[in-house]
Amino acid sequence: MKLKHLIVSVLFIGFCTSVNAQWKKNKANEDTKIWRYDLECEGIAKQGSKLVKVWSYSKNPKHAISRGMKNAVHGIIFKGYAGGKQGCTPFRALVNDPEMEAKHKAFFDSFFADGGAYLRYVSSATDGSIAPGDRLKISKREYKIGIVVNVLTDQLRKLLEKEGIVKSLDSGF
Amino acid sequence: MKTHKFFTLITFTLFCLLSFGQAKKPTLMVVPSDVWCNQNGYMLNFDNQGSTIKIPDYKRAFQENPEVLQVISQINGMMAERGFPLKNMESAIKTMESNAVEDALRSSKDSGAAVDESPIDAIKKAAKADIIIQLTWTVNKTGPKKSINFNLQGLDAYTDKQVATATGTGAPSFSAETPVLLSEAVLAHMDNFTLSLQDHFDDMFENGREIIVRIQKWDDWDGDLETEYGGEDELGYVIEDWLADNTVKGRFSTTDMTESMALFEQVRIPLYNDKGRAIDARRFVRELSKYLNDAPFSIPNKLVMKGLGRATIILGSK
Repeated sequence: MKLKHLIVSVLFIGFCTSVNAQWKKNKANEDTKIWRYDLECEGIAKQGSKLVKVWSYSKNPKHAISRGMKNAVHGIIFKGYAGGKQGCTPFRALVNDPEMEAKHKAFFDSFFADGGAYLRYVSSATDGSIAPGDRLKISKREYKIGIVVNVLTDQLRKLLEKEGIVKSLDSGF
Repeated sequence: MKTHKFFTLITFTLFCLLSFGQAKKPTLMVVPSDVWCNQNGYMLNFDNQGSTIKIPDYKRAFQENPEVLQVISQINGMMAERGFPLKNMESAIKTMESNAVEDALRSSKDSGAAVDESPIDAIKKAAKADIIIQLTWTVNKTGPKKSINFNLQGLDAYTDKQVATATGTGAPSFSAETPVLLSEAVLAHMDNFTLSLQDHFDDMFENGREIIVRIQKWDDWDGDLETEYGGEDELGYVIEDWLADNTVKGRFSTTDMTESMALFEQVRIPLYNDKGRAIDARRFVRELSKYLNDAPFSIPNKLVMKGLGRATIILGSK
């Protein structure tokens, strides 16, 4: 009888943990579904990449951190940035046409899926640590978290060229 | 055997389609600007009837300034990575010099004749490209603090229009050396430069290549651009009508028109002819030359070209 109770309890706890993890994941996805973030240049990176600070908004600071990388890659592809620290130049998004996101929905859905291919083009520049000034509580229930990441823009551009989403400089010649 | 022939035919057809499907690729070359050459003392001074004329001494700049080589090499590398390798000006100057020496020494085995070169041929011997990337930078110093002001301009060699640009001032530094700051400046600006160049190419593919067409006449020709032919309009209007019919969306501007010359700018020509072959200014204006040569006009003429984007017809004779 005791054994039966023990098994039921373990199964119940396992189920709850799984449901909780899934709920958290969904919550994080919901927070980033509308691509609400700010992107700014953090400095001059090595050739072929961009060093950016991405500010993500979320009710849970952990979600904002985990979604920062995804937002940064999305920002380089679709938004670009106007500037940042001294010496930074404005960067135009790799994709000029905003309709391209809807036109290539299948590709971008799989690219930006959790654990998707976007992770190959971004890396954390600060070992995941966040400066105290980059963790802001902007309202009673919302945080704005800034993380610094390095996005491999040249490789990302080549991928988009291969997929026919952007044109290469020598296309047509 | 039949299958073999069939496959050969298909391969040949595919090859033709692919080779005709490509527009003529413009050549690009990075050139230090006159301002940079002047500021750094790489100028040659000539006395022209009392007034001093300065022209940039590129050869000496390449031989004496390692920074210009570093910047050009970095830009060339980044453009090559994007599938657009640039012409290297230093090499172009060397090739030109060695060609001149070879031509001077060459003679025919049978008659001993030298290679023919007209004065125009001699003038045309210059390091050239379809798009010149003009490079300027200045080092700003405030006490021990240094920063780089960087300017890249992509200039169409024929229309004189600026087709791409990237400019700005880098972050000031107390410790970084000038080459390091220059390298950072190139990294910071090249993306914007290539994107604006891409816009220019997109516009070219959509609206045609922009060229300049000039019409002139030999002084011994008895006709002019105001002459009427076979009850038709004056020759100047005939040429305008031909351009309106043959340019992309009828786009061109008549900048100048007198009885002896006409200048048409912003002439948008298609990238391919009706056979699907890539064309440039010379191929396009060749059709106008033939049109004027045929009846009812029957005007013999000479067609002169300059690169991909400029062509001149001289009316009266070859």
